[in-house]
Amino acid sequence: MWGRTLQFLPRSKDREGLLPWVIGVMLFLCALSVASAVAIGTGIERWSRDLASNVTVQIIVSDAAEREEQTNAVLRMLNATPGVESASVLANAEVMALVSPWLGDLPIDANLPIPSLIDVALDGTTPINMAALAERLEATAPGARLDDHQEWLSQILDLASVIQIVLTAVVAMVVLSTIAIVIFGCRAGLATHAEPIAIMHLMGAEDSMICRAFDVRYLIHGIKGGVFGIIFAVLTLWLVSNMAADVGEGLVSSVTPDVSMGYWLLLLPLVAALLTMTTARLTVRNALRDMM
Amino acid sequence: MKLGLDYMITFENVGMRYDMGAEILQDVSFALDKGSFHFLVGPSGAGKTTLLKLLYLAHRPSRGLVNFFGKDLASLEREELPRLRRRIGVVFQDFRLFDHLTAFENVALPLRIKGASRNQVADHVEELLSWVGLEDRMHAKPATLSGGEKQRVAIARAVINKPDLLVADEPTGNVDPEMSRRLMHLFVELNKIGTTTVVATHDETLVKAIGAPVLSLNKGKLSHREAGTAFDGEAQ
Repeated sequence: MWGRTLQFLPRSKDREGLLPWVIGVMLFLCALSVASAVAIGTGIERWSRDLASNVTVQIIVSDAAEREEQTNAVLRMLNATPGVESASVLANAEVMALVSPWLGDLPIDANLPIPSLIDVALDGTTPINMAALAERLEATAPGARLDDHQEWLSQILDLASVIQIVLTAVVAMVVLSTIAIVIFGCRAGLATHAEPIAIMHLMGAEDSMICRAFDVRYLIHGIKGGVFGIIFAVLTLWLVSNMAADVGEGLVSSVTPDVSMGYWLLLLPLVAALLTMTTARLTVRNALRDMM
Repeated sequence: MKLGLDYMITFENVGMRYDMGAEILQDVSFALDKGSFHFLVGPSGAGKTTLLKLLYLAHRPSRGLVNFFGKDLASLEREELPRLRRRIGVVFQDFRLFDHLTAFENVALPLRIKGASRNQVADHVEELLSWVGLEDRMHAKPATLSGGEKQRVAIARAVINKPDLLVADEPTGNVDPEMSRRLMHLFVELNKIGTTTVVATHDETLVKAIGAPVLSLNKGKLSHREAGTAFDGEAQ
């Protein structure tokens, strides 16, 4: 691939010196976008898995005796249903804890009708027809409502898909901007080094030899920028995941980029270096073709 | 003037203009035989530099036939040019040395382009720099060299590949008379070992001293003068 590399270009100053920094910033943005997109994807998968293995049945009946009778009937029916691993009624205190964010800590009237909640764990191996189960529940207990979380989950999935598309667009824009910056840098480099290039041509240097000198230079720019960018990206991800861990289990922590899952991020400097070098090679080769 | 193909380089009715400008060279015809020595003279703006650029393959002519080493320049692919250029050594008026490289590295460039081994490069470059009297200045960078030293480095770089054609643009323009005489002696020595040489100069004393044939350019038109004779078709 390299052949003979004859580094005839003087050390880069001013304009080219900034290129590694620009590449580093671009890689930093790219790494954060990619890590966020992957984290959202992983979080959604985890939610879907958790929610698909669990359904909730509410018994909404105002009369307490009737509610208890329907609850017991539903429990018997559920425990006899293939695919149901277990079904248990949430204790009154647990139900009160769930509604407390809406009702506050004020003492609740004992006569206030609170629905019974049955937490149903599915075994995950036997498929269950939710529509049929809902019909059987209604036949068993007219006050029973089945919630398989699909409505809420589909909204979250739609939102997550939009965010992932936006992040992918950000990555594409960052990559295209990096290519454009390298092309501009390269053209500036060609203009700056027009004299040495002309002399090399007159001494019999082939285009490939001149291209290689630029290849090496831009590969080094890419590696420098890539390493700089990835160090800051990994530090940022580590900081964010630590802060999310302090928040505890929940929505935030499940979609937070996890630095441990991103060892593949370390490949990004290599990708950045190769992208920089290839862009430089094509730019220089095209420019040299216009020379005699 | 009809030129045969048995010459090393032939120009036949060559015209040259840059973009849509006026013609710098008009109907230029001449031939360089292997091992010949020619001076190229003419006032400033006569087209000497343009003719030299055609000679060292920096440009293609706008019209006319140019033949280099048996190859027609018009039908030559761009990819074939490097091979031809390696057979031509050029001494630029302003030296055009690489300022960030030492004298040794500058002279070594043509050999390294050709793919010579490290040992070959070291041996040849040291020998040649000694020949031009710069054995003590091998590792000096151009900024620390005098005008004469730079010119000798430029000459060494031009001849390191033992070129078939050596083209020099005012090689004595920046040096004192003594150095000028020594440099010309160097060109004559190279010519004696078979290098076809074309030297552009303003120095008529030098032309007379060497006594070589002269190509004279005036307003883009070329005239010839054999050694020791008057220009054909032109008043002196």
